[in-house]
Amino acid sequence: MNVLFVEDDLEIASFIKKGLAQYGDSVKHVSTAQEGLIQASSSDFDVIIFDRLLPGMDGLDAVKVLRASGVATPIIMLTALGDTSDRVSGLDAGADDYLVKPFEFSELYARLKALTRRKPLTVQSVSLTLGELVVERTSRKVTRAGQIIELNTKEYQILEYLMQSPGQLVTKTMLLEKVWGFNFDPKTSLVQTHVSRLRNKVDKPFSFELIKTVRGSGYIISDE
Amino acid sequence: MNRSITFTDLYNSLKFTAAMTVLFAASFLVTSICILSYIKSSQEKELVEYVEEIKGLYIEDGYESVLHEFDLEEQPIWDRVESIERLVDHEFIFALVDRGVLLVGSKLEFSSNTEPEWSSFDLKSEHDFQLLTLSIALTEDVSLSIAQPLSYEYMFSKQLLWQASLIGVVLIAFILFFIRLLFNYRRRLEIQTLMTQLDEVSRSPDSVRLSCEVNDSVLHDLTASVNLMLDKVSKLHGTTKTMSVGIAHDLKTPLSRVANRLQSMAQDVGDDIAITSHIGHATKDLHSVISTFNNLVRLNSIESGKHKQNFQLINLSELINDLTLSYEPVFEDSGRVLSHSTVDCVCCFGDKDLLNQLLCNLLENALEYSNEGSHVWIRLQSHTNCALLQVGDNGPGIDKEDQPYIFDRFYRADLGRTKPGNGLGLSIVKAICDVHGASLVLLPDQSGAVFNIEVPISNQ
Repeated sequence: MNVLFVEDDLEIASFIKKGLAQYGDSVKHVSTAQEGLIQASSSDFDVIIFDRLLPGMDGLDAVKVLRASGVATPIIMLTALGDTSDRVSGLDAGADDYLVKPFEFSELYARLKALTRRKPLTVQSVSLTLGELVVERTSRKVTRAGQIIELNTKEYQILEYLMQSPGQLVTKTMLLEKVWGFNFDPKTSLVQTHVSRLRNKVDKPFSFELIKTVRGSGYIISDE
Repeated sequence: MNRSITFTDLYNSLKFTAAMTVLFAASFLVTSICILSYIKSSQEKELVEYVEEIKGLYIEDGYESVLHEFDLEEQPIWDRVESIERLVDHEFIFALVDRGVLLVGSKLEFSSNTEPEWSSFDLKSEHDFQLLTLSIALTEDVSLSIAQPLSYEYMFSKQLLWQASLIGVVLIAFILFFIRLLFNYRRRLEIQTLMTQLDEVSRSPDSVRLSCEVNDSVLHDLTASVNLMLDKVSKLHGTTKTMSVGIAHDLKTPLSRVANRLQSMAQDVGDDIAITSHIGHATKDLHSVISTFNNLVRLNSIESGKHKQNFQLINLSELINDLTLSYEPVFEDSGRVLSHSTVDCVCCFGDKDLLNQLLCNLLENALEYSNEGSHVWIRLQSHTNCALLQVGDNGPGIDKEDQPYIFDRFYRADLGRTKPGNGLGLSIVKAICDVHGASLVLLPDQSGAVFNIEVPISNQ
């Protein structure tokens, strides 16, 4: 990934840069919104990370300017303001995702990956296939090795979301946002319970596991 | 404290007195005008009756009897000067005219209206006055006109009323001025006493209150309002204090653990397995700190009311059905039963995310504090103007002494903090209810914890 990172807090900047470098992604870091705007409109990036509170300019306004000038690069906003209404205003301004500080690097990375993958998925695939697992999106029919698997709504939605990013980490927070539409974190094991039931149906009767747990981070679906 | 009468006391009393004096003077004036008009109209009535009497005399006995009635022995013809002299002496004048020829009476020309009429008579001297004139036909040819000046009674009453009004107004002004001065002075002293008391309140706002000794209802009401405000401010102050203590307590424990982990990491440098374990534990503790802060930020954001701008029509029945479907497996796995009964299409105006959190927090509370095997239920009923949402369980319930505090921030019945959580869950539920204009109560005398929420519904 070729990432543009607009952040004035140098400590966070170095933490993220280090993390992205470990995965072999290239990062261009700038500390002001003005520089961010110049870079975003002059070079081609896969994704932009924009801090919300920047000296001299609200990141929200910067994103509006970028969108107004026709820059379509996916943008994720980082912020210390962490509430639904702030999230809504961030998304309204044209950001594609919104992440509240403090966050774990794996959470940010999973979201960056999800954003950069979005382009081909805008063309809605009628079916999603991963090895012997097939999800028919129109009929909501799920089969593994030709065997029909009955899923309830939430289980289906989780599987569909995982199948859109095979091999990539999907965090618990991402599932809460995408499947339940929650912008808060319920204390209980809501996600774990549903994923566990999904695995009982998708993986347990078969020889190997497709859905893997990344401890403390989330889930990955892959046939490797 | 200034105990002498000040210029302000005098000035304020004077202002009040001036206003009241104008009011009294105006009322005296109106009363006098009414009395004098009444005297004038009586004079008119008497003249009409008198003239009718004269007419009768004339028809019976001729004009000699009329002259006799007028106490005139001769048959006078008064020229202008004589006529005016009579009028000035408050005597009446008359003219008895036969086909335009003056038989007897005054040569002065005055009004000959058949109805009594007042007119201003200009004598070109200081004796300008009002005349009451009336004319009557005694026979076909003979007519009698009479002119009377204002009666003695009128003149006397007028003088009396003016003098009485003047004395009355001056007297009342004096009395009012002194009463008001006394009132202003006493009120100022009492307000100064209250100010001294307020100074004491500022030193110990939680214990000292104002007291008003004088019998003044306005000051009593003011004192009561200020005391009520002080009570509310004290309560808020208390909440803030409890909150600070709560934050300190809830954050100290995980932060101390992180500090201990860092020390252990320093000791275990080189032992990769131990270091990884320390990092895992420290991360978990920091998560709980961050979660507390996130909940506090969320709570403040809900209370600020800014979510209201995202309010839209929400189908509560659907929201509850969806959420119950999501939570049923969670309850099942923990050995509890979650059931729900809802009426269809109950809609309210609100924020979906907040309403979801309201239910999640109540369900998680039930999950946390009920025993294994408990039954937890959600009910939604529709009433005329509101929807009744009930979330309850048949668990051990909440102790009576804890019940009044369960919605307070950081309040936890579980003092040992053995259960997870930060004491903000129910505070958030309360804040969400408040922002939706919904009422939230914990039903008393129940075997478990049963919460009733009345949500205003939208009939759109």
